[in-house]
Amino acid sequence: MREVDPATFEVVKNALYCAAEEMKIVLAKTAYSPLLKIAGDYSCGLFDVRGEMVAQGPDLPIHLGSMPLAVKAVIQAFERVEPGDVFIHNDPYFGGSHLPDVNVVTPAFHEGTLLGFACVRAHWPDIGSATPGSYGATTEIYGEGLRLPPVRLYAAGVLNRDVDAIIFTNVRTPEERRGDLRAQLAANQRGVTRLGELARKHGVARLLAIMQEVMDYSERMMRGLLAGLPDGTAAFEDFCDGDGILDNGDKEDRPFWIRMCVDKRGDRLTVDFAGTDAQVPGPMNAPLNVTASGIYCAIKMIADPGDLVPPNSGCWRAIVLVAEPGTVVSAVSPAPVVYANHEISHRVCDMLFGAMAQLAPERVMACSQGTSAILTLGGVDHRTGGRYVSYETIKGGFGARPIKDGITGVASGISNTMNTPIEVLEMSFPVRVERYAIVRDTGGPGRFRGGCGVERVWRILGRPSTASVCLEHTKSPPFGLAGGGPGAPGRIAVGADGAERELVSKGAFTAAAGTEIRLRAPGAGGFGDPAARDRARLRDDVINGYVSPAAAAAEYGNRDADALACPYCRGGSA
Amino acid sequence: MPWRIGVDIGGTFTDVVLADEASGAAAVVKVPTTPRDFAQGVVDGLRAAMREHGVAAADVVWLAHATTVVTNALLEGKGARTALVTTRGCRDVLELRRSARASLYDLFQDAPAVLVPRHLRLEVTERVDAEGQVVTPLDPADVDAAIAFIQRHEVDAIAVCLLFSFLNDRHERAVGERLRAAFPDRPVFLSCEVLPEIREFERTSTTAVCAYVGPILQSYLARLEGAVTVMGLPAPWVMGSSGGVFSVAEGLRMPAMAVESGPAAGVIAAALVGRQRGLDHVISFDMGGTTAKASLIERGEITTTSEYEVGGGGNVRRWLHGTGHPIRVPVIDLAEVSAGGGSIAWIDPGGVLRVGPESAGAEPGPVCYGQGGTRPTVTDADLVLGYLDPVALLGGALPVDLARARAAIEREIAKPLGLGVLEAAAGIIDVVNAGMAGALRIVSVERGHDPREFTLVAFGGAGPVHAARLAEELEIPRVLIPPIPGGFSALGLVATDVRRDYVRTFYAPLAAVAPGDLAAVYAAMEDEARAMLRRAGVPEARWELARAADCRYPRQAYELTVPVAGGPVDAATLARLGRDFHERHRATYGHASPDESVQCVSLRVSAVGRTRSATALPGRDKPVGGLGAIRGPQHGQAAIRGAQHGQAAIRGPQHEQAATRAPRRDHAREAYFKETGVVRCAVLARDALAPGERHPGPLIIAAADTTVVVPPGWHSSIEAGGLLALARA
Repeated sequence: MREVDPATFEVVKNALYCAAEEMKIVLAKTAYSPLLKIAGDYSCGLFDVRGEMVAQGPDLPIHLGSMPLAVKAVIQAFERVEPGDVFIHNDPYFGGSHLPDVNVVTPAFHEGTLLGFACVRAHWPDIGSATPGSYGATTEIYGEGLRLPPVRLYAAGVLNRDVDAIIFTNVRTPEERRGDLRAQLAANQRGVTRLGELARKHGVARLLAIMQEVMDYSERMMRGLLAGLPDGTAAFEDFCDGDGILDNGDKEDRPFWIRMCVDKRGDRLTVDFAGTDAQVPGPMNAPLNVTASGIYCAIKMIADPGDLVPPNSGCWRAIVLVAEPGTVVSAVSPAPVVYANHEISHRVCDMLFGAMAQLAPERVMACSQGTSAILTLGGVDHRTGGRYVSYETIKGGFGARPIKDGITGVASGISNTMNTPIEVLEMSFPVRVERYAIVRDTGGPGRFRGGCGVERVWRILGRPSTASVCLEHTKSPPFGLAGGGPGAPGRIAVGADGAERELVSKGAFTAAAGTEIRLRAPGAGGFGDPAARDRARLRDDVINGYVSPAAAAAEYGNRDADALACPYCRGGSA
Repeated sequence: MPWRIGVDIGGTFTDVVLADEASGAAAVVKVPTTPRDFAQGVVDGLRAAMREHGVAAADVVWLAHATTVVTNALLEGKGARTALVTTRGCRDVLELRRSARASLYDLFQDAPAVLVPRHLRLEVTERVDAEGQVVTPLDPADVDAAIAFIQRHEVDAIAVCLLFSFLNDRHERAVGERLRAAFPDRPVFLSCEVLPEIREFERTSTTAVCAYVGPILQSYLARLEGAVTVMGLPAPWVMGSSGGVFSVAEGLRMPAMAVESGPAAGVIAAALVGRQRGLDHVISFDMGGTTAKASLIERGEITTTSEYEVGGGGNVRRWLHGTGHPIRVPVIDLAEVSAGGGSIAWIDPGGVLRVGPESAGAEPGPVCYGQGGTRPTVTDADLVLGYLDPVALLGGALPVDLARARAAIEREIAKPLGLGVLEAAAGIIDVVNAGMAGALRIVSVERGHDPREFTLVAFGGAGPVHAARLAEELEIPRVLIPPIPGGFSALGLVATDVRRDYVRTFYAPLAAVAPGDLAAVYAAMEDEARAMLRRAGVPEARWELARAADCRYPRQAYELTVPVAGGPVDAATLARLGRDFHERHRATYGHASPDESVQCVSLRVSAVGRTRSATALPGRDKPVGGLGAIRGPQHGQAAIRGAQHGQAAIRGPQHEQAATRAPRRDHAREAYFKETGVVRCAVLARDALAPGERHPGPLIIAAADTTVVVPPGWHSSIEAGGLLALARA
């Protein structure tokens, strides 16, 4: 059956995944923008000669579905690739995800034979457009920034200065972007070097065979795991807050609906988005491969919670997605896309858990924060006179599970970026973080409580700043399951001179010096009947301020307030 | 006759090593570890070892030990009830961490443990900005309130971490003074004293770890110090996570330094071998029953990292923050994988052979031990392949059941995969070696080093069985195996130095640095270091102070540490630092930007008080193995035997008995190698090998506490001092 013995297979498979992980380390340690070097908003992978993903580093699930297309786009655009070539592109409608995600693709060769490709997709904090951070609410992709189809950045090792000039003329803080690009090139170089070494050691034919076998192996495992789940169909629907475009004097953003029907049969799973709303004017439109990332992420967590199946293109052969082109889950050009990349993929990921709760209730989680909760800031730093662009995402609740509470302040679903330390942020940008705190009574009540929402408050210093935000679940609270209540919605507000004004969940605005921007990432849904919550846990929740005494009574039905007193406290409460 | 003694507390045994300072000869004695009171096991071991070897307390000039109390307290969550004081708005920094989840797809992953529960995290109104300027003065009423709160609660230790205290520590010290005055009997740790470095979560975590383990370390060290003083022994040194020892008083100032104390000792022992053999590049490889650990040693110097998390999952993935408590003190740079003799082989749902991370541990142990294990382990595979003695291990002390091991591999692995038993067993070894190769790669390739330039120093019970194949995997040409692989770590304790690392944030573009400013910071740290060495009683002639600087390109987030020459600092020093940084960046990451400016982030001084062992123990003609007179293995056998049967006593008569039992003489048995298939393979007793002889593989060398496998294509020879060398033919 197999051309290689099981031990060699395991050895080479591990070497491929180690190589992808090494790429990640090289990128993080050498990149310039905090978003990459500290938050880790990027993915690395090794691909076969057809552009199928053979190994993904331990990075973001958001890129699971669309990374292969990034390499396939290069293969499609160029008849011939040569040693020393490097390609760059970011077109969401041709292999990309949204414009800030810049793909760099480097082919790997051994003695003239193409082995495959290394690709790093990294989120650049700015890719042009009218708004620093490229996160404004526009109505066409042409307004979202520099759009690069696959182009050769290096030809046989020689830099194409024309392309280079176009790129760095169109982005803010180009010196920083250059550092990021160098890091991407170095990471790819590490990946292709490792592929070359494996070819030298095991022979080209054997390596290429193993690369195929790694994907077949993932497919076999995923099919086996899917077959172990109960068969059946389940439907789920949920609405999004809106797209950030206020038309004709609207005061409120207009919600829209996503609907899915899951059909699990044997070792296959079909997700049909029939009934989903048409694409919207603002950037909440997801190309299908972006939607796919959210679905794949949820399926992997449901079918393979032990993470036995190596993530690669083989995993997803058993999954079928059906969606009408021109809807918010399968956008067509020139619909703008920037928010949808994470907001729609987050949403469909959570929704799949909601649907699967009807088929396999012990293998799902309640809705997590379900949004990347982004704040970008840009302007001139009064301390240096230089321009800056800052991009942060705030983590709130991770959903409650059938046997465990959710988690507070940790990335969920398709996201896994890190926060930026306050001290690093303030040294880099003219802001002061006034608060970074867990918010009480935001975790959905349940026998197992959802993770709490988290608030971060920034004060703008020195000069005005152009801010943009992208938040979801400000109107649709993250759902609970099995009788658990929803998490508290998110919220964005600005405060100046003692007054506070709540903002629409998406879009750009100008913040004067001294303004406070308050962003609250949503809490997560609870799981199971709150009345069944263990009283010792409830007491801990109250002592530690995750749940108020009032909510303990109202939501959890606690009748004995004294039972919630702190046992470590001598004489009186805290 | 001056003696040096080292005590290494392991999970099962406490190893006591005695070294004769004059001759370099050493012996190892093993006694069972006493988990309820580790100090008791140490005292038992010391008594036994000194009695057996006729060592008088008055002749002991050095006593060092490796402790697990700090690591255990963190792993088991049994530290002190700790309160934390932070800047207003920031008490949740400790809980919110860095916000990435540790495992991407594990639906049921646990939330990371938080050392200080939320209600014991208190805020005070104050603020220092990114330039170190006070923008909100400290509100004394908030400090009063914090003190009142702590008085009302059961709190055993206090940590304080305010924003930007690494730039301006005025507020933090003011809070500390008030707390120390209010709670004179409780330890108070300030982040500016523990770790004056940027990044509030990591600094808070390090400070909280110190407070959390401080009281436990204090009571343990006080008991131990009392006990050894009664015995007439010198005050004990404690092995630190960076591979140097520190005094008890020093340790109580910085308890986090005692993390990974034991593994550090093993790396130090391997470094000593490297130094004595004049090897520039060594990888230490320690493989036991459940884990394998690797570390890099360059030119006799160990490598440390400050990106360490304690109490989390395996630290192979330590890159992803998320499972443990970060401590930003230098910790010996260990890559650890769950791969050992007890690791269980299994077939995953995709039909692929996997090994570990589950381990059969000591109970039930491998199938061949006949103690109830049914799932095949790495040791079972080694046995089936003929690498281990088919009758009994440990020189006859531990009987094994070959048939049972064969049956288990056949049933669980060979049949389902359609392989022969030998092929299946060989597959298990290949897979476990691949996992360990990953650990070796992390400490070598990933750091930009070429393993082909390295020598592997292999120890631990299972290390020598696998070392040669593992070396092949990474193309490492040479393996050295010390005389008693099982007790090798303890040797590090008699062969190390007094060490402490100092760091100061020094945030400036290199081009704008005035040489005088740099010199002043180094001078301040060096004054502190000299005072420490003076307190430790190390003669001044043996002090070594080394400077380094952490630099990066201005917009990067991670620094590279670049050595800086001692002596006066001038413009040339700074120019040299810049050049060295670019060069190191190129070597590590494959590219450099010499036209860009260089950002200086921190300055470091490492202070070493060389001890006799490191500088003057017998030289190259008599390296560690001058420890030729080791009589440990016999004890090892007896001890292991005893433990298997739950017996505690292992000393005295059993030792005599064991010592007189001659190892089995040369014979042969069948063993399987993938190059040759089953071959008749010579089995030589290690004691019978003479220096200068070369024996080609395939060959098996039986030593009392381990087996050395010499595969085809390798040969073995005994080198000076009893080191066994394996090299590619």
